[in-house]
Amino acid sequence: MSSEAARIPGTATAARRRRRLRAFGSSLSGQAVLAIACLAILAPCWFLFVGSFKSVEEFFASPFGLPASFAPTNYRGAWEEANIPTALVNSVVVTVASVLLGTAVSCLAAYAIARLRFRGAALVQLLIVSGLFVPTQVISIAVFIEMRQLGLLGTIWPLILMYATLGIPVGVIVLVGFFRAIPRELSEAAAIDGATPWRTFLDVILPLARAPMMTVAILNGVWIWNDYYLPLLFSTRAELQTLPLAILSFFGAYSTDYGLVFAGVVISAIPVVLVYVLMTRRFIAGVTAGSVKG
Amino acid sequence: MGVEATAQPTGLVRARVAGFARRRFALWLLLPALVLTLGFYVLPTVGSYWLAFFDWDGLGPVGGFVGLDNFSRLLHDDSFLAAALHNVWIFVVLLVATNTVSLGLAMLIDRKFALRNVYRAIIFLPYVLSPLAIGFIWQVLLSPSIGILNPALDAVGLGGLQREWLADPGTALWVVIAALAWQWNALATVVFLAGLQSVPGELRDAARIDGARPARVLRDVTLPFLAPAFTTVNVLLAVFAFRAFDLVYVLTGPLGAPDGETLVMGTAVYTTAFPTGQFSSGASFSYAVAQGIFLTAVLGLAAFALLAFLGRREKRVL
Repeated sequence: MSSEAARIPGTATAARRRRRLRAFGSSLSGQAVLAIACLAILAPCWFLFVGSFKSVEEFFASPFGLPASFAPTNYRGAWEEANIPTALVNSVVVTVASVLLGTAVSCLAAYAIARLRFRGAALVQLLIVSGLFVPTQVISIAVFIEMRQLGLLGTIWPLILMYATLGIPVGVIVLVGFFRAIPRELSEAAAIDGATPWRTFLDVILPLARAPMMTVAILNGVWIWNDYYLPLLFSTRAELQTLPLAILSFFGAYSTDYGLVFAGVVISAIPVVLVYVLMTRRFIAGVTAGSVKG
Repeated sequence: MGVEATAQPTGLVRARVAGFARRRFALWLLLPALVLTLGFYVLPTVGSYWLAFFDWDGLGPVGGFVGLDNFSRLLHDDSFLAAALHNVWIFVVLLVATNTVSLGLAMLIDRKFALRNVYRAIIFLPYVLSPLAIGFIWQVLLSPSIGILNPALDAVGLGGLQREWLADPGTALWVVIAALAWQWNALATVVFLAGLQSVPGELRDAARIDGARPARVLRDVTLPFLAPAFTTVNVLLAVFAFRAFDLVYVLTGPLGAPDGETLVMGTAVYTTAFPTGQFSSGASFSYAVAQGIFLTAVLGLAAFALLAFLGRREKRVL
């Protein structure tokens, strides 16, 4: 702090004072811009939250004021009317099962592509990653016919299998990048010690891959939890509905009772927002991993 | 010496056996992913895409071979071309917004201050919200009867600007773009921020001590390190903009109300394959597939061009 100032007392402190002033000014306007941006993000969420406690009359009287009371009337109504207990269980089962399956198979494939030199590795990778470019709407009729042939219609298996499959491209991209970065000496040392390739993979490589696998699980888990397109196709009975579809059909039936619909939307958002708030760092580290080369 | 000579051939044999075992091991590892990918992505894709060259309404038996008819129909279909143009608009507007607003926000957060983690958490929040929730919120916010925007305009004396934002042909597409931007900004800002945090602090300090002005530090130190983040953000943006479906569908429905003004390729494909509204001209599944192939081609082209342009830039600066 003082070494610079001691050398050239007058000029240095003046310059520093000026710089500090300018930094304060720019940070003040910077803070203002950030605050406005955060307001633009939070205001709609706040509107949704307070709206979920309002009755229809209140909505028209004061759309963005506080509700008369925070009694969970709308929540109780939505919980009962919107098939939420069943849909919640289905959403959890489908998301957890497809994320586990998709992450596991991506991990195995990514290791083979990244570390086991074999002919056609690049081609296999290209085939898998190309899945990102095909719109789901186009293949959905063929998938529907296929699921009927397999006798899986009327179960939640079509959702689990499709989500697991659609999650593989992202899984392979993230995990191939990770496995390529692990030093080769690690697996070579294990091989010299007489470990089989399978043991090497399980005992040496896999424990290291926990964080990137978490990344893949988060990346896929978020969109799978929020997706309503595939359930629209495969959840033909109320017992098969997932949360987004339950809310969507609820919206169609109660489109004028905004408070009730908002309560349903809040209920469907709570689990993922809760996990996000608890694991913010993991989420952000997750989506940025592999996107920026060190 | 003699020992080594005898050891060499067995070493070679062992290496070859190891290579064989390694390839078999690789096959086992690939098998589950390949079964799922071939079964539920490649098979239905191939099973759908060949239909583009035939005439099929989606229900009865597949009609005759029609060659490229579905593709030439596409080039003369004004409503589909308009939809494709809307995708281009979405892409261009978000491209500009992303590389200015999102980048700027990332730079503002990339400084040491008490609330930075809170700001970052808030800015990333829209990423975890469902398109369904975002669509509902925006729909109600802009609704003429109970929304926020119209009363707010009235309050500041701009009551003349009030309108039915999602029903007005002049503003509907802009509302859709704004909602998409609101959602997209979350990911873009956070990826830029991660890129900024990869810039070594000493390098910036050194440049500053050497007397470089902030603009110079930005151009010659910070931006080069951001090159990989630029590539990631803009390629992902192409996928986001050209495959847009969920949020648009919730906001303005399968027909892109009003009057197709907000139709995008994703919703056009869906509406052609599964016509629902009374304005649809009857299903043509094979035509929907042709539209889907067109979508894939445009997206692939955009992503490839971005990768080539930004990837080369990446190599040049590092």
